[in-house]
Amino acid sequence: MNQAYDITAAALAERGYENLPEELNSAKHMIYSSPATLDYNSPGAKGFGVKRAGLAIPGSVMLLVAPGCCGRNTALLNELGYSERFFYLMLDDTDIVTGRYLKKIPQACAELLEECETQPSAVVICITCVDALLGTDMERVCRSCEEKTGVATIPAYMYALTREKRLPPMALVRKSVYSLLKPQKRVPTACNLLGFFSALEDGCELYALLRSAGIRTIGEIGRCQTYADYEALSKANFNLVLNAETRHAAQDMQERLGIPYIELTRLYRLDKIRNQYRLLGQAIGAELDDHAYYEETYAKVTQFREKYGALRIAVGECLNADSFELALALTEYGFHVPEIYGTVGERNFVFIKKLAEISPDTRIYSNLSPTMLHYRRTCDLDAVIGNDAMYYHKGIAGIGFQEEEQPFGYRGVTLLFDKLAAALTEAE
Amino acid sequence: MSNLLTHLSPLAPDDSGACGVFYELGGITVICDAGGCAGNVCGFDEPRWHEKPSALFSAGLRDMDAILGRDALLIDKLTKITQQVPAEFTAIVGTPVPAVIATDYQALRRMAEKKTGLPCITVETDGTRGYDFGEMLSYSRLFRTFAKEQYQTKSGVLGVIGATPLNTGLTHADSIISALQKAGWDTVVCFGMDSGLDMIRRASECTEILAISPSGLKAAEYLQDTFGTPFSVGYPLLPAQITAQAEALSGKRILIVHQQFAANALRNIITNCAVTCGTWFMLDPRYAKEGDCRFRTEEDFRAAAMQADIVIADPMLRRAARGFSGEWIDFPHYAVSGSAKW
Repeated sequence: MNQAYDITAAALAERGYENLPEELNSAKHMIYSSPATLDYNSPGAKGFGVKRAGLAIPGSVMLLVAPGCCGRNTALLNELGYSERFFYLMLDDTDIVTGRYLKKIPQACAELLEECETQPSAVVICITCVDALLGTDMERVCRSCEEKTGVATIPAYMYALTREKRLPPMALVRKSVYSLLKPQKRVPTACNLLGFFSALEDGCELYALLRSAGIRTIGEIGRCQTYADYEALSKANFNLVLNAETRHAAQDMQERLGIPYIELTRLYRLDKIRNQYRLLGQAIGAELDDHAYYEETYAKVTQFREKYGALRIAVGECLNADSFELALALTEYGFHVPEIYGTVGERNFVFIKKLAEISPDTRIYSNLSPTMLHYRRTCDLDAVIGNDAMYYHKGIAGIGFQEEEQPFGYRGVTLLFDKLAAALTEAE
Repeated sequence: MSNLLTHLSPLAPDDSGACGVFYELGGITVICDAGGCAGNVCGFDEPRWHEKPSALFSAGLRDMDAILGRDALLIDKLTKITQQVPAEFTAIVGTPVPAVIATDYQALRRMAEKKTGLPCITVETDGTRGYDFGEMLSYSRLFRTFAKEQYQTKSGVLGVIGATPLNTGLTHADSIISALQKAGWDTVVCFGMDSGLDMIRRASECTEILAISPSGLKAAEYLQDTFGTPFSVGYPLLPAQITAQAEALSGKRILIVHQQFAANALRNIITNCAVTCGTWFMLDPRYAKEGDCRFRTEEDFRAAAMQADIVIADPMLRRAARGFSGEWIDFPHYAVSGSAKW
């Protein structure tokens, strides 16, 4: 087979999630680190992987305890200003077989603190597959470090081996970065937005809607400038979880700090966004009037559709959206989605089923399949969304839509179509 | 603490070096990892990844695969790929995961060859050593596996071992070839860079072998012992900007830091100076001068830098030379900074 594997939405929906083709199940084949998806495929490569995410606590530093190969690409983060915050305890072959390095970690912490101009707020110890296999009790090691240095020390588990487990590395690191919060008196007019390591885009209507419901303080780790800002997060009356990978962290905060949480999903279908806000209003006991936002966004989508017609748009997965939900939204808005490059999971299979009903011929590819080495475009496209899709379709108008400022709600839809319009105009 | 890095990022590891050797040879290379190591190799240490497609994959190991030692599953996946991607051989490159569970690479090789019908090369790297160690193992196994037949030696043909991006910062061989042709060679073959497996098979046709990095020595020795092909060492592609600066130096104490043969080549053009070569990688005593050194810690490097008036080294190393107040001349080494910008 010298061509990339694909399956139509209709055929995939008919097979069902329990009967995925092997090419869409990464446990059944080798993994292709496609140049299109490198930031996705490596837990520490780009964006907010475990390493960068672990440093979301203001003033913290990270000690990566691993063989050199695990920290090699961390140099990429130097360009983002992290060079003073990373330290490495390099393991040799005897270390990884015997685990003898565990006793050296407290001393390494003490030595790295001597190198810091100001005392860090915390030391985050990042460990990798070696410790996953050795079964290291890193909580205990962190306690030893804390006793030796007096500086709060927490673990970050960069266990690529457990990426498809119930608690993958990006879920565990979310728990870690909130784990230093201490119980304090909660403020009824404060809430937190959990889910991302960077903040929501400033224009997101969620801020205004919450304020209209009497919320005066909205905490986000991505907006914390100081450790005091971070500590204030535990005053929140409730947490809004905007990314399911943060559920475990929110549960932990509920147990330890008594902060309940409400889960929202990033969606691109207007009616679903409206419904979600209605449910949120019910949950917090306030009526959230999103009418104006809905109308404005609806007009934006309609104008775009009228101006550009039924564009044929390919959707990737390296973007701030669920590939399949976004593809479904675009199809419902009257566009065609000939191809999706995405990872099929239990959570998003519901979108595939719906997509199969209204766009059965949409072809679904897995970026991780080795057959993607042979990928060549066989369909006509007018635009692409996602950095991976842009890689596959150079020369076609496209947007990466993977900025650090997180799109959400109606504002996310507006940003999507504004950026698409700009890209199409530039291409013209 | 000797293995604590407080100013530098880790240097290119052995698994990256191993993959770089196989990259253009038309095989299927599998990094025996969970995905992160492959991401490091493809996303950082292999600049050809965005220029020249290669069948380089991660085994996609999961915790239970490792804990239960599911070698058969790995071989099944490998066999499946050979049906999807045409290949002349397979290679399995080790990482910390197989090192922890003591994977039997010989068994893997035999199983792979039996199931796929293709020659298989295994490289027991573990991610803890330098890239040159991985290159050395790969070159050595590659030539031992494929360069078995004695061909008629051709005159004027130079074979170059060690031409990898990690050694040279290059993704194409043209500048190496033109430099060596100017030096009098009719034909220059850079094994594994802009040349395929067939050139490895026909290595005995070469008049001479040039190892441009210590990582190529073992393979060069194999070709000499097996076919009588003589070898030499050198580094024919020093950047003009650096040689111009180096040639102008006089009466200084100089520290040059790179892979050993590149550093030696630069030393050879400097006169009237006391030059010491240092490296973070292999140091072969046969090609070292008194005072040359291998750095094992940041402090080793800093101490050597403090003894010099001028340091010629990768710019990333400057962070580790605290207190050094002399002149610094950039001599990028891809295996150090992941950059070859001059």
